[in-house]
Amino acid sequence: MKVNIVSLTCCAGCVSSFLNAGDALLEILSQDFDIVYSPTFVDLKEVPQVDLAIVEGGVRTEADEKLIREVRAKSRVLVALGICATHGGVTSLGNIISVKKLLEKEYFVLETSKLPELEDLMYPICNFVDVDYYIPGCPPMPFLIVHSLKSIVSGKTPIRHQSVVCTECNRKIIAAKLDRLYGIYDKEADPNLCLVSQGFVCLGSLTREGCGAPCPRAGFTCFGCRGPTDSLLYRSRDLYSFLVKVISKRTSIPEEEVKKELYRNPFIFHTFIFSKFERFKARERII
Amino acid sequence: MTSQREITISPTTRIEGHGKVTIILDEAGNVSDAYFYATEIRGFDYFLRGMEADRLPFIISRICGVCSTAHVLASVKAIENIYGTEITETAKKLREVLLMGQIISNHSLVFFFLILPDFWFSKEEDPSKRNAFQIMRENPEIGRKAIALRSFATKILDTIGKREVHIVSAIPGGLISPLKEKEREELLKAAKEACAITQEAVSLGKELFEKNWEEFRKAGDYKTHYMALTEDDATEFYEGKIRIINPEGAVYSEFTAQDYMKHIEEKRYEWTYAKFACLKTLGCQKGIVQVGPTARINVNRKAKTEFANKELEEFKRKFGSPAHATLLFDYARLIDLLYACERTRELLEDENITRTDTRVKVKPKGGIGTSVVEAPRGTLAHEYTLTRNGRLKSIKLIIPTQVNSAAINLNVKDAATEFIQKGEIKTGLLNRIEMVVRAYDPCIKCATRNVTDGLKVEIRNQEGKLLKILS
Repeated sequence: MKVNIVSLTCCAGCVSSFLNAGDALLEILSQDFDIVYSPTFVDLKEVPQVDLAIVEGGVRTEADEKLIREVRAKSRVLVALGICATHGGVTSLGNIISVKKLLEKEYFVLETSKLPELEDLMYPICNFVDVDYYIPGCPPMPFLIVHSLKSIVSGKTPIRHQSVVCTECNRKIIAAKLDRLYGIYDKEADPNLCLVSQGFVCLGSLTREGCGAPCPRAGFTCFGCRGPTDSLLYRSRDLYSFLVKVISKRTSIPEEEVKKELYRNPFIFHTFIFSKFERFKARERII
Repeated sequence: MTSQREITISPTTRIEGHGKVTIILDEAGNVSDAYFYATEIRGFDYFLRGMEADRLPFIISRICGVCSTAHVLASVKAIENIYGTEITETAKKLREVLLMGQIISNHSLVFFFLILPDFWFSKEEDPSKRNAFQIMRENPEIGRKAIALRSFATKILDTIGKREVHIVSAIPGGLISPLKEKEREELLKAAKEACAITQEAVSLGKELFEKNWEEFRKAGDYKTHYMALTEDDATEFYEGKIRIINPEGAVYSEFTAQDYMKHIEEKRYEWTYAKFACLKTLGCQKGIVQVGPTARINVNRKAKTEFANKELEEFKRKFGSPAHATLLFDYARLIDLLYACERTRELLEDENITRTDTRVKVKPKGGIGTSVVEAPRGTLAHEYTLTRNGRLKSIKLIIPTQVNSAAINLNVKDAATEFIQKGEIKTGLLNRIEMVVRAYDPCIKCATRNVTDGLKVEIRNQEGKLLKILS
């Protein structure tokens, strides 16, 4: 199987994560998995026709858009790897300021003939091309990438993860009696209790499982890098009011007060999913 | 006769991020200028404003997935600087292990996956085969070594950092949880194996390097200032003073992290999305500085660990001090790798590292804080201004690739001048340019955390008309 690895606007963390798979990586490389195009690793400059394209990063420049269209046209199966490709990622936080302002403030007015023009927003790739599988995560864990790729290589649909991070976290959920919420630096976390029950704003109850819950297990709140779970991809579900209810139930802090605290910071949920995302089409293809 | 031509290398391969090279020819068809530049931009410096301090480290790590640990550590240190927090010795040791994990993770990637193909294959080799995967097919033993070192780094970051990319355990005040004795034993065992593999890698690298040295030394030899962290004249990554030496090797200045921005300034150019950085006192013409593996050796007299120190001394004997040849970055990087493995083993041999006092309480307040760490590519600085409410008012990041940008450009111009005369382009230009650029291991992701496309070489005439794209 001929494989392209393509990077659009991103931090290269997803390909790094793939390289962290250790022996599983050697195994997959020894099988029918021939990486023919990857600017990071291979000297080929033209995008070739392949069976599988793995794309990390989202679309921020016109050059990104041109490349993703070319890659789609030249590959049989296309996998969006990581939250930038699937939902826009952290870079989509840049959507809060206009490109014009960004360039004027930070740079001279740029001579555009030499640099690629910017898109008005940072987009996930599904805004431009059809995607066969989405593997969200910032970055997705090596085992998740390798398992999914193995299935795809053998022509099977990878196992989907439809529930929430809480199912993979071993902390005990209780209805605690607290008077306020806490920032992650404010106090040390009890190693056994649910972080929300301790007053931390953990997004595990909103976020797609499949990562193994490394952050909340370590005592750091989940910040939603796997994106919203299946049930939250219905338009009728409001992430804010859902989390307000969860927090209020587990801390006994009245919903109104939780709301006030959460609404203070719009980034609480949308660190990774700020961009436009066509959520209905994609649901059954999110791994 | 005017031969108006334009060259573009596109994309520059085997580097991290999207870069491009443009070469501009004069009337006679000789090189008048050459640029290596970044073509992506993401806007981090802007959208982070207003963000709460406790969300900064984990969002900032997303600037770069390859050196995210260095960014997280610089970030928590800058915040601690504002808060006036002194972390415990235990936390400091664990953070240094994390940073060593970062160096091993990056340098093993760069050596085995990006650089080795240049050393391994002859220049005549089919470019589609000149890559790490082909080496692994021909020589599975090398593949196993590469993966073993990557896995060791992953194990460190996973055990102590709690995630192998974008670690979460480092927070202002220390580390979120202590290292367990069982984990220490496992890591120590792995560290011993990693040290042995690294020594083999260093031998292999040196052998291949020496075979090609006559050719490599021609690739560029630019005498600039060098900057790195130092402690008692020894290489240091996590803390210490910043030392700058002049091109002759004398100490030009030495200062603490807090004063970093007083000595280094940024300059922007209209042809790249990445900003340059240079010495404030000398300006961007004379004040060119290089950071990274060679700089760490040039600035210091010794290394704290046994074998790395031996290699460092041999390096200085062979190439002089300061050593200037550009491709020495590839050699010096192996000494970094050896140091990182040895230092990790040393830190893990200390049983006190499993003490449970990894965290102190922080007292949030506003102010300005600067921090510096040695990232894989060189000196990395973060400066934040926080409001009284603990929100980010302004941010200034100076990334190693920004500092090296000027030197990279000079090297690209040198290579272009050597290979292009009177409009004639000799074969080998593309390969040479890519090798000098690759030596710096430029991380365009980092340099352009602001808004990003692959390395291209363009040749343009003076009016800016595109003549040729090299690929």
